[in-house]
Amino acid sequence: MAYKYYKDNRTYIEALKRTGDLIEITDEVDWDLEMGAIVRRVCEKKAPAVFFKKIKDYPGFTAFGAPIATYRRLAVSFGLDPETSIPDISKEYLKRTMGEPIKPKILDKKDAPCKEVVITGDKVNLFDLPAPMVHDGDGGRYIGTWHFVVAKDYDTDFVNWGMYRQMVYDEKTMVGPVLAFSDMGKMFYNKYVPRNIPMPFATVINPDPLSAIASCAPSPISEAEFTGMLMGEPVELVKCETCDLYVPAHAEIIIEGVVLPNVTLEEAPFGEYTGYRTSPRDKRTVYRVTAITMRKDPIMAISNMGVPTDEGQLLRSFSLGLEMERMLKDQGIPVTGVFMLPESTHHFVVVGVKPIYANIATQIGQLVFGSKLGPWFHMVMVVDDKTDIYNKDEIIHALCTKCHPSRGIRIEEHGVGTPLNPFASPEERLYGRAPKVVFDCLFPPEWPTSMVPIKVSFDNVYPKDIQEKVLSNWKRYGFKD
Amino acid sequence: MAVYDTFISKDFKDLAEDEEIIGVIRDLTPGKSKYRGKYAKFVVSKDENKYPERLWIRLGRGQLIEKPCSMKILEEINIFPEGL
Repeated sequence: MAYKYYKDNRTYIEALKRTGDLIEITDEVDWDLEMGAIVRRVCEKKAPAVFFKKIKDYPGFTAFGAPIATYRRLAVSFGLDPETSIPDISKEYLKRTMGEPIKPKILDKKDAPCKEVVITGDKVNLFDLPAPMVHDGDGGRYIGTWHFVVAKDYDTDFVNWGMYRQMVYDEKTMVGPVLAFSDMGKMFYNKYVPRNIPMPFATVINPDPLSAIASCAPSPISEAEFTGMLMGEPVELVKCETCDLYVPAHAEIIIEGVVLPNVTLEEAPFGEYTGYRTSPRDKRTVYRVTAITMRKDPIMAISNMGVPTDEGQLLRSFSLGLEMERMLKDQGIPVTGVFMLPESTHHFVVVGVKPIYANIATQIGQLVFGSKLGPWFHMVMVVDDKTDIYNKDEIIHALCTKCHPSRGIRIEEHGVGTPLNPFASPEERLYGRAPKVVFDCLFPPEWPTSMVPIKVSFDNVYPKDIQEKVLSNWKRYGFKD
Repeated sequence: MAVYDTFISKDFKDLAEDEEIIGVIRDLTPGKSKYRGKYAKFVVSKDENKYPERLWIRLGRGQLIEKPCSMKILEEINIFPEGL
């Protein structure tokens, strides 16, 4: 049975308009920094998404900014009420992704909106697309900020969708980092580069929201099938023009080509998801473009990474946390919830657990840091099942009162990290190293019951009948909530 | 006079003048192709009038040096394999 969802960004934009989560800007805006500045402020103010109706130099194009930078918009993307709570959005995600993977449906090209305009050969020109200059000081115009790259393994059927940033270099060339531990990095550096064979790719710009969410999710299930699970029916794909890859048929713009082995070009700096420009200008992976296909009146997308909260931070935190919860439960850990704070730029995760044996926090840290998810974060806080993992006040209180400043902090010096960590030394960035830390905020289970401090809170130190009486009379006393 | 910029990974005081440099420069001509990259061999002077083109310098993380340099492009270099 299909769930409620939006097949493309046009219907999603209409939905956001209805819920009051979209602002339309009809004034002409400049792709050169102005669009980026507006979207940056949208992210920092947690303001509605923005739909730019007129872009300087690019008649016929519009642009969609900050598509899923709030939990309200995340709820709408799932077809839920925008007021849906984070735990309830999480439950919906877990419910939809519990069953069997759903294989995609292949459409004829004539039925695929992303084939309404097809450009190949000498007519291909990336400067015909309104790629924004997102931040002043960036290394170039980033065409890939809200998108994903489709690539296929050299000698298996494994296909990856992943968000790998892409900067326009010239008419037919893009450049971007492909980290060695990423899915695309593993297939490219392990299989294509040693054979000196170009790797076909397709960049999907402005995909439907659930495909975008799937491309951010670190699930072991192929992203196309995972999208089908989120939708409750097959995602509709169509074959590329110049390679054998398949892309979402309802996306706005598709860029096809090959990733060149053993050729690099300078890329970056770029305002990154950590909220800093950390990676320096350096030689990175080169994409050569062979075709561009798009819808009529195409909608460019712009996500603006920087200080929280943008959709990269929000979605990555959301799905990393939930995939971590799934993985810990699969391992038999009595987890009661996992929440990764988007404000931590997906570096800090809070795990709720029933503390039934000693050193369970260390075990949780070893499992999550040792998993495929591990390189993307470095702080794990473990709290008991009575702590509300979504409540920052409770989190800070637990950290400052239950985590022993010496034995409660467990540091692993030799973890895998990303070169984007602002705190990392130049050498740690170069080799992708990062220390990891567990904050054990559990009272040791071996302490005698009489020794365990009692939390002094309304819901913990008053009898139920007193609590109920106070709550039922609360507004009558004159309080609002 | 065309206007370009380039990024350097060293301090500005260590920028080599009047020596051949190979790297990426960006064309800052206004319009749709602004920021187009070119892989080129070029020479730079901190004297903004010495060479025919203007060149702005940015450091590795995008910091702009306030005073422009001048530059002469000696050769554009193609790094792409034939047919790709």
